Amino acid sequence: MLEAKSTNSLESAFEANEKKTLAFYLKWVFFGRPARIILLIIFLLAIILPIFYIAMTSLKEPIEIRTSGALLPRGEITTVNWVKAFANVPLLRYLLNSTVVALVSTILVLIVAVPTTYSIIRFNTGGWFFPAWILGTYVMPPIVVSIPIFAMVKMVQLQNTLAGLILVHTMANLPIAVWLIDSYIRAIPKELEQAAWIDGYSKFETLARVVVPLIRPGVLATGVITLILSWNEFLFALILTYGVKSNTFPIGISRYIGEHGLQFGEMSAAALAGIVPIYILVFLSSRNLVEGLTRGGVKG
Amino acid sequence: MNATIEKHTPKLMVLPTFLILLIISLVPLIYILSISLTNSTISKPFTDFVWFENYKKAFTDEVFGTSLVNTLVFAFSVTTIQTFFGFLLAYAMQQERKLGGVMRTLALLPLFTPPVAIAMIWRLIYDPNQGLLNYYLMKWGLVSGVIPFLGDKRLALPSIMLADIWQWTPFCFLLCLAALQSLPKDPFEAAMVDGASGWYVFKRLTLPMVAPQIIVIFLFRLLIALKVFDLVYMLTFGGPGNSTQVASFYIYRVSFKQFQTGYGGALSILVLILISVLATLLTKGRETILKRIE
Repeated sequence: MLEAKSTNSLESAFEANEKKTLAFYLKWVFFGRPARIILLIIFLLAIILPIFYIAMTSLKEPIEIRTSGALLPRGEITTVNWVKAFANVPLLRYLLNSTVVALVSTILVLIVAVPTTYSIIRFNTGGWFFPAWILGTYVMPPIVVSIPIFAMVKMVQLQNTLAGLILVHTMANLPIAVWLIDSYIRAIPKELEQAAWIDGYSKFETLARVVVPLIRPGVLATGVITLILSWNEFLFALILTYGVKSNTFPIGISRYIGEHGLQFGEMSAAALAGIVPIYILVFLSSRNLVEGLTRGGVKG
Repeated sequence: MNATIEKHTPKLMVLPTFLILLIISLVPLIYILSISLTNSTISKPFTDFVWFENYKKAFTDEVFGTSLVNTLVFAFSVTTIQTFFGFLLAYAMQQERKLGGVMRTLALLPLFTPPVAIAMIWRLIYDPNQGLLNYYLMKWGLVSGVIPFLGDKRLALPSIMLADIWQWTPFCFLLCLAALQSLPKDPFEAAMVDGASGWYVFKRLTLPMVAPQIIVIFLFRLLIALKVFDLVYMLTFGGPGNSTQVASFYIYRVSFKQFQTGYGGALSILVLILISVLATLLTKGRETILKRIE
């Protein structure tokens, strides 16, 4: 609505300018519609190009990769890199580990985060301090707490296990989850809950039967985001897992490259194997994701 | 009984989070604070009490200094570039509705690409012999010899920055777009009725109205950028020399590669203080800027 109008007004402002001088045309080219479209197309290509490049590289003959960095394959396309990547690197194991860690930690995060956020907003539990503490924990670089986390995980004998990593990812993703769910709960009118209380619902029942169904898009978006964050997480997986049985995809693949080296073709295929599941997830929930991310991001 | 539970429900709801925050922030802070006063190693924590020796050492540690400078240069550069382009693109996008859905979905991809995969992509792009960048630079005759982007002391950090810019600009774009779309419509309609030019509306209405949110986006992104670790670890491992050494990576190296957890703890505390001071100053700065705009 508004956008359409503002474009019209810009153009009508130009039309009003009767003397169509060189300056007018320059202005239109650099600030008008063509400039905007070109800018956006460049943006689009810049996003796609690197991903497209490794997709193409993963389909090139290994010999061709060694001799040319061209964008498009010149010879026949081949699946040899994919076959070799899955045969040489224990990729399926890494992906399975990642999936287990991401799924379980996400479920745990949501179970903890939703009631907490609700309690903070509706009952002002913890006053100003608790939300500030949560935000502070999010801002703190994870490396700062890595030594004690390492020591604690070792103390409970969970080093080099998926369970240990699941617990750490749950705790590490909790602040961001609370932060993301916050704006969804804020948007629920208080009257709905008050009606539920009058009907004899307890606070827990109100949360489960009234609030949660209303914030389902928010919970979904938060779940997908923490799922991906856990899937992508590098530092804790690096210090807490050191074997094929517990290595997640990011650590497994980077260790493998460090120890055995990997040809670029196989590396591209392996990278894509970790990317594709995420992209599928993003495409399936993109509308919710954009909403979830931007609501959390811009509140003052 | 039920009444008691009902009364304390709000507290019960935050209890797990409270415990988790203790485990991931308060206990670790006390732990590193105390370990930083000792000469601990990773296998023998809390041995050999040395008071503030580790802190004294940190102030004369040139590599630590380099890592702090690199972190600040990295964080401020990428954040400025990403917020600027993010805003520019969002402003263009706001007026081109048709591309909206596609752009938004695509903009999510770099942000959510596993950093390890991003590192692999850019390692391939930068490779001197088999990479895309050198191939086309050579083919089009723009350079006479291959450029070792990640192997050159001056180029390594900017090369990591470019990968980071690819990853995060779309995120800034999405946030800026949301900020632009949240603006009230009345002032713009009034300006249109008055026949104000596009540039004038942008300068006098859009920019001042959206500025507070853009500053929040800038700060938010900056605080995340200060944590930079993954790309450095996977693209250059801090090298060549110490040219891409950043704070998080240096602490990792000291603690988990040289096993000096006592010294690593001291560095962690110093970095934490630096970030807190920076965050406080920037929040104050934001208030000053906002007052000036009003």
